[in-house]
This record gives sequence, C-alpha cells and structure tokens, in this order.
Amino acid sequence: MDMLILIFVGIAGSLLSYYTNVSLRQGPIRASAMLTMIVAGFLYLFPNLLSPYLTKNIPYVFIGASFIGMVSSHQLSSHLGIGLAGLIFTFIFLHTSRFFDGFGGALGTSACVSILAVMSIPFLKTNRKVTIGFLQLRRLVFRKKRRRKIRRV
Amino acid sequence: MRHHQILRYTLIGLLFIIQLLFLLAIFRENMQSPWIAVFIIALSILILLSYIRAPIHHDKHLYDHIWVAAGVPIGALICYYLHTQLHLGTVLSAGIVGTAASFLPAINKNSNYLSQIPAAIYCGAFVGMSSGGIANGFSFILAASICTAVLLIVSKSLFSGIGGKLGTLAFLGVSLTYLLIFLIK
Repeated sequence: MDMLILIFVGIAGSLLSYYTNVSLRQGPIRASAMLTMIVAGFLYLFPNLLSPYLTKNIPYVFIGASFIGMVSSHQLSSHLGIGLAGLIFTFIFLHTSRFFDGFGGALGTSACVSILAVMSIPFLKTNRKVTIGFLQLRRLVFRKKRRRKIRRV
Repeated sequence: MRHHQILRYTLIGLLFIIQLLFLLAIFRENMQSPWIAVFIIALSILILLSYIRAPIHHDKHLYDHIWVAAGVPIGALICYYLHTQLHLGTVLSAGIVGTAASFLPAINKNSNYLSQIPAAIYCGAFVGMSSGGIANGFSFILAASICTAVLLIVSKSLFSGIGGKLGTLAFLGVSLTYLLIFLIK
C-alpha cells in the first residue's frame, strides 16, 4: 500500500509541477520549490498524520518528481510522458543504491535519467519509419507498373 | 574553438558516466532480482539513445556568467545551514531556498542577472542537501558548491530545458569533491 501511495505521489508531483510551470507560467524553479515547500512543510508540521515510512519518503519522492515537471514544454509536452517519467523516477527511488545515500543531487540525477528515458521513446519507432518508407517505395514501384499496364491497354 | 569542443564533449561524457554509475550502483545492489536488472539495463540503453539522438544540447557552446554561478555557494550554504543547524529537513530546506530565490527577479524585472540567479541558487540548494555523513561541515559544502558552480558555468548550452539538469550537476560536483578529498586523504 505504501508503495502505491509513493507511486501516486511520484506521478502527481511531476504533473502538478509541470502544470504550475507551463500552464500557470510560474517558471520551473518556483513550480518545483514552492510545491515542495508546501508538501514538505505540511509533513514537517504534522509528522504523525501518516506512517513514519510515508512521512519520511513522501517529501523525497515529491521533490524528485517535481524536477521532472521543470522540463521545458519544447522538450517534453505530453502529459502522458511526464506521468511516465514520474513513474520511472519513483521506481528508481524505491530501488536506489545505498552507496549514494546522502549525496546531494541524487534525486535530480534520477529525475534526469527518467526524463531522458522517456524522451528516447520516439526514437525507438525508427523501424516504423523505415517500414513507411519501404511502403512508399513499394507504392511508387507498383504505380509505375500500373501506369505501364494502362498504357499497353 | 577546438577548446570549446573538447570541453563540451568532456562534460557530456562526465555527465553520462555519472548517470551510468548511478544506475550501475542500483544494478549491483539488486542483482538478485532479474526484473530490476532488466529495467536498469533498459534505462541505460534508453538514456544512451537520448544522448545520441535527442536534441538536448544547443549546437553553440555558451558559458554562464561567473556572477550567476556565485549563487551556487550561497544556495548551498543557506540550505545546509537550514537542515543541519535549524533541523528543518533536507527537502523543506531546499524548498524554502528555491522558493525565496524564485522571487528575486521580482526586485527588478528588467535585470538579466536577477532572472538567471534563481536556477543557480536552487542548484546550490541541492548541493546543500548532502547529509552529514558525506559533507563533514561547511568547508565541504563550500568546496562542492564551487565545483558545481564551475560545472554550471561551462554547461549552459547542455541539457537545455531538461528537468534534473541542476540536480545532476550538483551530484557530479558533490561526487567529484568527495572523490578528491578521499584521494588526498
């Protein structure tokens, strides 16, 4: 259950931050920092509202997910992509290495990896482009053959 | 011109290596779970694809102004002070520093300098989020933030508009400083 809540926080955090950044035009820094301050401040003031595990981890998942929402709309404009990056980020966070525990910027690195992974998805569709190209070539050849047949008739 | 190209590719290489090392550490600790191992391998391939094909870098290599990068140590020291001395927690401290920095351009809306400083201060806040186990005092944070500031200056045209850029730079700055201190000791 706790894991599902963290996944929800990851997806919601990235989408909320993106909405504040792009739709409300507050800029990436304010979108990430202000939302993080609200969430972390709320849990700081009410530490017994949720389980200790969630009280400890929700702020980390939220700030990391909010970095995803800092992306420019020119680079990634799909809400589905932003949500997917939030999901990937939460998955990385849940399995993050203890070796880098306490290193500043580790959450930002996870967010960056998540965004880069999502941004690479359109480039995986190159085979389809080749297929479309191949189909167009076939059509061109067949059209030429048909024209020849029509001329003969 | 050639120096700019060397610097550019060195930095891109460093950023890729640090991200790959980060994923490698997860892979190493979760080798008993095949699904996680497959996921990490897939992520590594996808980020490599993005590095090669996605338009994430500007063609022209640009540099940030040194006074803009001066915001990095300021953000780092304030954030570190807030979470170690006032015990506000690392996330809340970074949130406070970032929110305060985001209102600085409102002082003078025509100032180009003030419009660029919030990103540098927020980047510094990530350095300041380092725990006491890694950063053994303000001197480490100052050293790591200067290292991050240098990286911020030279990476202006890299990862343009990508979320997590500032965090990755902070992570690289902290890791390099930690490695340097470890080697010196």
